[in-house]
Amino acid sequence: MSVGGSGEAKGGYPVQTIIALGIVGGLVGIYLGHFAPPAYAFFGGIGAIFATIWGADAVRRVASYGLGTGVPSIGMLAFGMGIIAALFGLSIGGTAGPIIAVIVAAIIGYVIGALSNKVIGMGIPIMEQAMAEISCAGTLVILGLSVVIAGSFDYAAVIQYVVSTGYIALIFIIGGMGILHPFNASLGPDEKQDRTLMLAVEKGAIALIITGFASSLHEGLMAASINMLIGIIIWYVAASKHYALIKRDAYAVVGTGLLPSAEELQ
Amino acid sequence: MIDAILGNIIWIVLITVGGALISWGVHFIPVGGAPAAMAQATGVGTGTVQLAAGAGLTGLVSAGSMMNLTDDLLLILASGAVGAMIMLTVTMIVATWTYVYAVGCVPSSAKVKVDPITKYRQDNYVSQGTEGHGIPTVSFVSGAIGAALGGIGGSLVYYSLIEVGMSVGLEGSAVTNAVTGNWLVAVAAIFAIGIFFVNAVIPSYNIGGTIEGFHDPKFKKWPKAVVSSLIATLLCAVVAVVAIAQLGGI
Repeated sequence: MSVGGSGEAKGGYPVQTIIALGIVGGLVGIYLGHFAPPAYAFFGGIGAIFATIWGADAVRRVASYGLGTGVPSIGMLAFGMGIIAALFGLSIGGTAGPIIAVIVAAIIGYVIGALSNKVIGMGIPIMEQAMAEISCAGTLVILGLSVVIAGSFDYAAVIQYVVSTGYIALIFIIGGMGILHPFNASLGPDEKQDRTLMLAVEKGAIALIITGFASSLHEGLMAASINMLIGIIIWYVAASKHYALIKRDAYAVVGTGLLPSAEELQ
Repeated sequence: MIDAILGNIIWIVLITVGGALISWGVHFIPVGGAPAAMAQATGVGTGTVQLAAGAGLTGLVSAGSMMNLTDDLLLILASGAVGAMIMLTVTMIVATWTYVYAVGCVPSSAKVKVDPITKYRQDNYVSQGTEGHGIPTVSFVSGAIGAALGGIGGSLVYYSLIEVGMSVGLEGSAVTNAVTGNWLVAVAAIFAIGIFFVNAVIPSYNIGGTIEGFHDPKFKKWPKAVVSSLIATLLCAVVAVVAIAQLGGI
């Protein structure tokens, strides 16, 4: 099950650009969603989409070396670390909560990356940095989607509307899917960064639609519809672009037609 | 924050031990990964994380239901272990039926010449070009042991987090008419799941995707993963304990 090849991921946007996009886009979205009225909670989801792009790119870079196991494991690890860092940050940070959460996530991620390289001996040169990035991205996705559901990142509100209702499990899996799925679906010798990341946008938009649906419990039908509408628009644009990129990269896109009937097979 | 850490050192230690137990337990589980899904390697045909998490989370559920009845740690750990063992043994036996009756291959290990438990020859039955297939007896027993360790570890983490929350005055039991609303149970469960995933992934990097059980040469690498898990879980435990202790203030 050694998937993802062995070597550095090539091409596309530079790492620094993606990191900046993820951190700034994620945090700005989360803060806008927090301070704006509940109807604008979708900003949290847009922040989560930026963080998903960052996480998917970090997974792409680290999994290109070959993890020795499936790519999904790293997405689950991201959210395992992220959920702890996110709730810790909110619990002690107040308004600075998301920033503290990201810093704690970076520390936990860096330590686990260093342990994987130094103790377990995975020998991936960018492991420490990539783990820290994936952990931060997971934290930002959790916070962003929590803001969509709870309307703010106040610890009590998040616990009441996101954790104790069980929506946190939904965020765990659907946010993890956005980070792990793009590279897992696109990996191979013809993998291109823009196509992988467009898939991440599409997955992030699906997460926004579903958390938007969940937000109807607390924020009412009006805010929930806006969340879902924004999600559906982003999803439509991203899915069309992703399909266009598939057509660009594929040798040919052909229809196979329907299965032949019994007579035709005679 | 410092008070919360100092006052709960015993629980932080127990969470760390629980994390290490999960990490050790994963090494026992016969994980075949994608090759096993094509009956080209011994073990269940899915990834480490999926198998360990499936067993561990069932363990959490059964430990949690036992906590409604008693606060005796041993009973809770036993309940968690049995829940996880049931989940994994059922997965393994159904996978074996599929391999034997649907794929049509003999459960056999490519790593040992004779099964250490049944003493049956293995190498004659391994198809050419594969690394064994199905789940031989030794892998099955090993998997059951691994699930028990994972279940005990997961329950230990969950129990400790609940105790931390109860020490700041929250209600630990969910015996009410409301389906939602018990903050402590929800937060402790999601933290336990987070810690479980971290400790399921670290050993999966250590074994490189596939392992047959305790008879596999790769099993000898377990101290590396357990040391890594001890450090990583300690970090997570401190953070989780502080976050739960803060629950008392809202």
